[in-house]
Formats: sequence, structure tokens, C-alpha cells
Amino acid sequence: MKPAPKLSSAFLEPAGQKLPSPLLELRRQRGTALVDMPLPTRKTENWKYSSRYLKLDDTLAGSLTSTGKAGTDLAVEGYHAVFRNGVMVPEASKLPDVDGIDIRRFADLSDSEATKLAERLDNTLDSNAVQLARLNSARFEDGLLIQLKPEAVLDKPLFIVCETDASTSGSAYPRIYLDAGHHSQITVVEEYTSTGEQSAMVNAVTEFTLAEGAQVTSVRLSSDGQNVQHIGATGARLGGNSRFESHAVCFGGPLRRHDLQVRLEQPGAECKLNGVVVTQGKQHYDNHTTIEHVAPHCNSEETYRNIAADQSHAIFNGRIHIHPDAQKSNANMSNKNLLLSTGAEIDTKPELEIYADDVKCAHGATIGQLDEDAIFYLVSRGISRREATTLLSMAFINELIEQIPVASVKEASQGRLNHFIEQTFVEG
Amino acid sequence: MLSIKNLHASVEGKEILKGINLEIKAGEVHAIMGPNGSGKSTLSQVLAGNEAFEVTEGEVLMDGNNLLDLETEERARDGIFLAFQYPVEIPGVSNMQFLRTAVNSLRRHRGEEEMNAAEFMKLARETSKQVDLDPNFLKRGVNEGFSGGEKKRNEILQALLLQPRLAILDETDSGLDIDALKVVADGVNALKSKDRAVLMVTHYQRLLNHIVPDYVHVLADGRIVKSGGSELAFELEERGYGWLGINDAVAS
Repeated sequence: MKPAPKLSSAFLEPAGQKLPSPLLELRRQRGTALVDMPLPTRKTENWKYSSRYLKLDDTLAGSLTSTGKAGTDLAVEGYHAVFRNGVMVPEASKLPDVDGIDIRRFADLSDSEATKLAERLDNTLDSNAVQLARLNSARFEDGLLIQLKPEAVLDKPLFIVCETDASTSGSAYPRIYLDAGHHSQITVVEEYTSTGEQSAMVNAVTEFTLAEGAQVTSVRLSSDGQNVQHIGATGARLGGNSRFESHAVCFGGPLRRHDLQVRLEQPGAECKLNGVVVTQGKQHYDNHTTIEHVAPHCNSEETYRNIAADQSHAIFNGRIHIHPDAQKSNANMSNKNLLLSTGAEIDTKPELEIYADDVKCAHGATIGQLDEDAIFYLVSRGISRREATTLLSMAFINELIEQIPVASVKEASQGRLNHFIEQTFVEG
Repeated sequence: MLSIKNLHASVEGKEILKGINLEIKAGEVHAIMGPNGSGKSTLSQVLAGNEAFEVTEGEVLMDGNNLLDLETEERARDGIFLAFQYPVEIPGVSNMQFLRTAVNSLRRHRGEEEMNAAEFMKLARETSKQVDLDPNFLKRGVNEGFSGGEKKRNEILQALLLQPRLAILDETDSGLDIDALKVVADGVNALKSKDRAVLMVTHYQRLLNHIVPDYVHVLADGRIVKSGGSELAFELEERGYGWLGINDAVAS
């Protein structure tokens, strides 16, 4: 038997030593744990559809060098933190000055603060499940620590723009940790974008912890360039009666993998996870989500929609795990998929593990094509076939886009999705 | 305007139209009547360009050009409009967005400037009152949850906005109560002009009380078996199709 390929040691040589020593030490430990880590293959269950898209050659191992000036892609009004190649650019950022809200870059933390953070980093993620995202903890060069004191409310969304400058080859490791005190509220918009034409990888990890009654909304826009592989993981741990909302808008690429793991740990916690995925050409996108109902009386609602055109490939794996004590859990999962061409592929897998007997757990997955009767109706009014396809595809996802709570992001997403779908090949 | 010559069409290998001949001139109103299954709806769908139907023989000329060579959207841009017997529900696409996209497609084709959202909303709201459709229906998904009558009024609303040269009404009267029938008929009458033609496909004579046709044609088993003036419709109403040698029951 051929030995499984391993992570090249070149990936375990972090650059950027401008971190407090407790974080450097954490990074070293995490790196040691990854020595000889086997890379996912077709036989790795949670990578079986995606391993063939992964191209981790040594040219990606080095850090990226930033050439240009950081700028924001979204028309960002209000608060924003700009990261370039995983390192925060303070002069391009505008952070809120609001009572009870403390936002700091990792590089600026004192040793004692860094020690506390080091104890908590990775504690929202199941490291066995996220595999490659673990590399982030061995490589991050900076990060953003957001701390909300009890009852603190951020009045406007915080945009975190993670820009990758791929004018040389290499990889970047943006890192975010958000700690929401009890009954605090915040909306965070993460946007991943890139410039430059060389091959690159972004490996991004974001973690949220929500204390009693906290409300956190996360919007994640994935629109890196076609030369950039993206591996991301988001973890959230929810205290009693807290609410976590996630809206993911996902554009395909050479490799796109996102793991979203939510743990409902105290009674009354609830989450809503929405995702819209569009792929075209030979693009790929793989969303793996896990909702852990640990405590009783928690609600989860998950809705993902994929649209795959041309020869592209979209994957959705939605796991719901209801623990033995989690009685009166209420879980709803829906994944609908639209294939725009015969060459496109969508793999969807709802995965339910239920160990409690008094729960409501519903799931549904469908895969279909556009309704020919609807297309005929539209074109019989003089609307072109391409426009008709775009209208109907947008109709398929609009319901989710409409729920994005930040108007500027909602509109920008609609515009980008519309433009993206217009570019796809339409079969006559 | 429209000239149909020896038109044969089939669906899934079964021949439905078996040689239709029909001349429609600008300014005229034609009615095609016939029992269920005679091919009335097939004729409408073929003229509009539904690819589920295959034309096996014959030709259709619109202003001397071969209509059958055109894509469905090109026919619409050249002025063909089909009011569907069963309008399609399209959740997620608002009626307003749909109507504006359609109107602007036609305007672009004619080299006219596109209408912006505000201009169009004003026009659409006014026109929807003309067909007695609450303007709130413009905000809803296309035909989504509309009653049968509301769907038919939405079809006529589209005709009024798109101003076609040839409006084909496929069983537009079916499922309408008398008030709705009157509203729909008023809409169609508002469309009539010396530059336009109307082709009504119907099973019953009652719509023809409100929209008086210049010509009535009886379709049976894929052919026009009799043509006449508007009096033919009354004769059919009184005597049924039997006297023409058509068995209504068998044909349906």
C-alpha cells in the first residue's frame, strides 16, 4: 500500500515572530503536533469529495509578502479591521471606541493577556474534524481578539477584511477570537478577498464564545481569487439563552473548504446557520457543518442552498449531533441544490446522530434543475434565456440573502451573485 | 400579419396539428373554438415557441418572415404574446421585477431607453388598476398564490404593458366568474387597434359576448373544419359541435 501523503515540514516553519511569547509557544506546540500529519485523501471520509482539489505543494509553505497598500473591497462604512496576509494593518483599520468593547491585535497583547488567550485558542473546534485548519494555530502571525464585556452592544457591524496579496506564492493565516460577555451583542462581517495572480492559500480560523444571553451574528463572504485555495474553520460555543446567527455567502474556487462547528452547551441556546454557495467553471466548494446539541431545550435551524454550473462541484455535509441529555432539542436542517448543467456535481449528506428520545429533528435535501415551464413563461415575454436563468437562480437563493442583517452586505451580495450567475454557461 | 400554412405539429411523436391554414390581418379579432383535445392549446404553444412541440410540416409567416426560425424570446420581441391557460407560479421573482425585465427587454429590442424602477412602478400600478388587480400583487412572487382569476388578470396586465402586435389568448375565460370575465374582456378590448390582432382560443362562446370576433374558426382533430363570422359562435353554442360531424365526447 502506498503511504498516505504527509504535510510537508516546510509548512511547519512559521515566519513572523512579532507575537507575545505565550502565543509563540502555543504556535510551536501546535506545530509539533502536526509533524508527519497525513494529508486527507479520497479515503478520508470528511474529505472524500474534496481531497483531489487540494494542492499543498511547498511553494505555498512560505509566508506571503505584502507589496501593495491594503484597501477594503466592500464599501466599508463604520468599523473595520483590515488584515493583509494574516497580519493586521492598523493604519487601514478603524476600530470602535465603545464602552465595554475591547478589540486588540494579538501582537499588541501583554504576556499575561496572551497567556489567557493561549489557554482558550482552539477550544471551540473539534481538532479531529477540522484537520487542515489546525495548521492555522501553528502558523498565525497575528490575529484579532474581540472582547465584549457583559451587556456591551456594538451599534454598527464590525467588518473584518482579510485580504490576501498573492503577487508572490505562499500562504496566510488570519485568526479571529471573539468573546461575547453575557447579554452582549455584536455583528461581525468577515470578508475574504485577494489580489495578485500567484498560487496561494488562505487558512483562516474564527472562534466565538457566547456567554448567557449573548447575541452574535456572523456574516462570512468568501470571494478569494481563482489562484487562491481557501481552508477555513469557524467554531462557536453557546451559553444559556444565547443566539448565534451565521450567514455564509460562498463563491467557488480551486479549493474551498469551510468547517462550521456550533455547540449548544446550555439550555435555551439557539443558532441559525444560512449558507448560499455558487460554483461555475471547474470550481469547487465544500461546506461541512456540525451542530452539537449538548444541552436540553436548544434550537438549531440550518438552511444551505447550492447552485452548481458548468463542470463545478459543490458539497454539503450537515451533521447534527443530539447528545443523550439534550432532551427537547429542536433541530431543522434543509439543503436544497440546483444543478444548472449536466456536467455539474453536487454531493449532499445530512448526518443525524440522535441519542435523546424526546427531540424534534427534521432534515431535507433536494437536488433539482430549473423548471422548464418557468423558463418558457419568462422567455415568452421577451426575456432572454440567460436573463431568465439568472432570475430563477437568484429566486432560489434570494430568500436567504434577504435575511442578511446588514443592508450594504445584502445588496453587495445580491449584485455579486447576480453577476456571477450571469457569467455561467447556459444550456439551451 | 400572420399567415399559417399547412401547419403540422406533434408532441412526443403524436401528431396534434394536422394541417392548419389561417390568415390573420392587422386589426382583426379571430376566435378558434373546438372541443377539448382538438389542438387549440397546441396551436397557441407552437406559435409562442414552446419547444416541447415539434413542427413537422408547414410554415408560419409573421410579416412575411419565418416565425418558426425564431427563438421564443425573439417572437415576443417581434410582438407575439401568449396569455397562458395555466400561468406559471414563480416564487422568489417578484411580479414587479418580472414585468419590468420583460418591458425593458422589449424596449431594448426597439432601441428605446429602459424604464427605471420608479417610472415603471408608476406605469405598472396604473395598469394593474385597469385590470382590477390590487397593486400589492406586484410585490408578490409571479402568480404565487394567485387565484385562477387573479392569474388571468395578471396575464392581461402583461399584455397591456407589453403592447403586443398579436395577442393570443389561450382559454383566458376558463375559470372566471362573470365579473372577472368582464374585466378581462375590457382589457382585451383596450388592446384592440388597427395595428394589432387578437387570436382567442376558447372552448365556450361566453367570452365572445364581450369580445366580438370578426372571424370564428372551428378546430377539430388538428384541422380547421369550418370558418365563419361571429354568428358561427352562437350557432355552436346552440347546437354544439355534433352538426359539424364532431363528437365532443370522443374528442376530449
